[in-house]
Amino acid sequence: MNPDLRKFYGWFTALGLLIGVLIIAAYYKDQFREWKNWQHAYIKQELARANTPEQRADAARIPVEIRQIVLPELGRVDRCTSCHVAVEDPSYAGLPMPLAYHPNHDRHPFDKFGCTICHQGQGLATTREAAHGHVEHWNHPMLDMKYIQSACGKCHLPTDVPDAPKLARGRAVFEETGCIGCHKLRGVGGVIGPELDNVGASRSPEWLLTHFKNPAAVTPGSAMPPIKASDADLDALTLYVLSFTDEPLSAYYVSMKTIPGPAAGRRLFEEKGCIGCHSLGGKGGNIGPPLDEVAKRHNAQWIVGHFKNPQAVSPGSVMPQFNFTEQETRALTEFLLSLTDTNVIGFLKVPGAASPLERGKAVFKKYGCAGCHGPDAQGGVPNPNAKTAQQVPGLKFVGAGYTKDELRKRILNGQREIPVMDPKKAAAPLYMPPWNGKIAEGELNDLVEYLMSLAPKEDLGF
Amino acid sequence: MITRLWKTFLSTRVGRSIFRVGLPQSNLERAQVAISSFFLHFQPAKINQRVLEFRTTLGLGLITLYLFLILVGTGVLLMFYYVPATDYAYQNMKDLEFVVTAGQVLRNMHRWSAHLMVLFVVLHMCRVFYTAAYKPPREFNWVVGVTLLLLTLGLSFTGYLLPWDQLAFWAITVGTSIAGYAPVIGQKLKFLFLGGHVVGESALIRFYVLHVIVLPISAVLLIAVHLWRIRKDGGLARPDQPLATREEFAPAQLPVTKTYGMMELARGTTPAVGLNPDEEVFTWPNLVFRELLLLMATIAVVLILAIFWNAPLEEIANPVHPPNPAKAPWYFLGLQELVAYSAFWGGVIVPGLLVTALVLLPYLDRKRRGIGVWFARERRVAITLFTICLSVAIVLTVIGTAFRGPNWGFQVPWRPAPAPQEHSGL
Repeated sequence: MNPDLRKFYGWFTALGLLIGVLIIAAYYKDQFREWKNWQHAYIKQELARANTPEQRADAARIPVEIRQIVLPELGRVDRCTSCHVAVEDPSYAGLPMPLAYHPNHDRHPFDKFGCTICHQGQGLATTREAAHGHVEHWNHPMLDMKYIQSACGKCHLPTDVPDAPKLARGRAVFEETGCIGCHKLRGVGGVIGPELDNVGASRSPEWLLTHFKNPAAVTPGSAMPPIKASDADLDALTLYVLSFTDEPLSAYYVSMKTIPGPAAGRRLFEEKGCIGCHSLGGKGGNIGPPLDEVAKRHNAQWIVGHFKNPQAVSPGSVMPQFNFTEQETRALTEFLLSLTDTNVIGFLKVPGAASPLERGKAVFKKYGCAGCHGPDAQGGVPNPNAKTAQQVPGLKFVGAGYTKDELRKRILNGQREIPVMDPKKAAAPLYMPPWNGKIAEGELNDLVEYLMSLAPKEDLGF
Repeated sequence: MITRLWKTFLSTRVGRSIFRVGLPQSNLERAQVAISSFFLHFQPAKINQRVLEFRTTLGLGLITLYLFLILVGTGVLLMFYYVPATDYAYQNMKDLEFVVTAGQVLRNMHRWSAHLMVLFVVLHMCRVFYTAAYKPPREFNWVVGVTLLLLTLGLSFTGYLLPWDQLAFWAITVGTSIAGYAPVIGQKLKFLFLGGHVVGESALIRFYVLHVIVLPISAVLLIAVHLWRIRKDGGLARPDQPLATREEFAPAQLPVTKTYGMMELARGTTPAVGLNPDEEVFTWPNLVFRELLLLMATIAVVLILAIFWNAPLEEIANPVHPPNPAKAPWYFLGLQELVAYSAFWGGVIVPGLLVTALVLLPYLDRKRRGIGVWFARERRVAITLFTICLSVAIVLTVIGTAFRGPNWGFQVPWRPAPAPQEHSGL
């Protein structure tokens, strides 16, 4: 040995060994990945099932590798199939997780939708814990299966999905409760509470449920009244609210195939060249009638029927039969309806044919007045320190104190400052938001008619 | 076995063409090895015995250099995976963790080395101060060192943003807003850094270019200057070093001490080396092997850290959801603590004065006293002043790091205050 080396030999050996051990440790830590075990289990299963030598050879050739579904349009990469290898193989139906088959994916093929768009969790991760999202610094753990229908609501209107009754029920509860009296959703609603556009992505189901039962428990100082509904309804409401994710969806996912909404209808309207015969805003052909206000002349059924067979509903019409698909027809109809109904949120349309009082009641519900004034305008929602007995006043007797004109002004302008009981205490949290510019003229007339009608007619004591 | 193979290789034409000397057997060859190797010629062929003693430098500067090398190595490998775009950066971190071979270990090594480098560059600076190694003729090398300290902070800070998680986003938002407190140019400066008013895509690409090109190249150049100047300034500081001598062109009167000037060929003042033959040892193997061992130890420590502790990664950056409190990287938390009292003092005056004082230090405190001696008695005043400043900086940093909770309120680390509930507006 070189004499220069001798002195340092021990040190070099010790440190060299230490580094060697560390590198081997790092390598093992890196190479041991739990998804590999499941892929080996899958291959073993395939080998056991193989009957012919060819099948056995095929099974032996299955590579052990990261499997991922790249969804650039959704901004997602889902590696779930690295463990859930057999999701597309029906012969694995009923087998224990993770090697189980995923039923009913024919309409939502994995290569276009992946997994996390519905189930949430961390698609990029490849360990069970991290992928299922129950780890620190991951805000979207896997959705409890009892809320899975909320995923439908990300793309579809609740009424569009026949297999999602809970979603539809949740929407009904949302409307009955009058949430948008205080909260804005997709640009429509009150300004007292925060907007709800993204609340399904930023809050957990547990948070939402607690919030509905007792708002102040999770949001100290919240003036929101607890929602009185059955547990099943609160669950449905949670499920529905979870669908408000404001997720950016690219053209493919918003196409009329998925959502027959007004936007898709507008695209179709342009593509199919309707403007050649009909006009919109004074532009277009004059062979057919202008369509700006078609919804005022005809109802949805008539329009749908007209698309299917123009001559059947409009004898002598020269409009050709276009053989639109069911979805296309719906999208076009939604679009035509939206032309006269810009103030209306897609899902809650005030029926045009009803009596003014019925319409007024629907308006009352549509704008969420019930949220504070009670479902029958009887009042009673607590509003601490408000002069009106610390409650939001009922509206049964507005007819006695207001003329129709005053009431209209009151609704349009709102009242920001609520008179207080005790000036030393904090101001009353709930107030009347201005509805000017949000409520349509006709709707306001109907609402005033309805409110005026509330006062009990008999037994006024004189 | 290995030695024999090595010897066989050295005896071939190719071997000789690469390693001219081979494993040295004689003192002549030991000197030749140091002189003829590019990597070893930064050091003289012979060094003072004192250099080998651990207590002379504690190896701090060298460890800093090694950490820098580890950072360059791991950093280049990480560049193969990283895309500096807000849409991909965070996903790249997840890829490193979950699918890239050794990706997580690489990132961990890079992260921990970066923190350690900031720490060791400061420790090295303290060593140089407490042993008065910045005094003439080494004033300028101290200034180069201060610049390297700033570069290290810059490298660490620019790298901090790249993972594009909440931690990164808000640390950089807070850090750059400290820069914004500078008078007149503050806001312009912040805009220049971020390429906008808020941290976004432009900020990310700016920080990336600074982090992988501008700052590392500057650092490499300055490190080379720093090392080269150690040699040209007469090696490591030591007490008995003679003053610079004046060389005259007079072959008959050879200088009494060895110098690094142009020997007998030119005139001028040159730092003295002043080696006495009985204090001298050969750089190879005494110093070179010790340096190699230190490198191996540094790598081992970084590997241990990287294997057992993962680099932090929080949620993806969310510009509308600031954490409470949002904290700058730890080495700026002293400043952030000051900013909490006064933005102007903490953000402008104190850091400005600090850097100015550090740069001017060797020109103000230039009496050649206590050089190469730890905590020399003659330097009592300077040492006390420096220690007070250092302690204040450490205390402020510790408070900012561990004792500050939501809304920058005081809290004790073992009983953190609960995060305040967000107000929904109701």
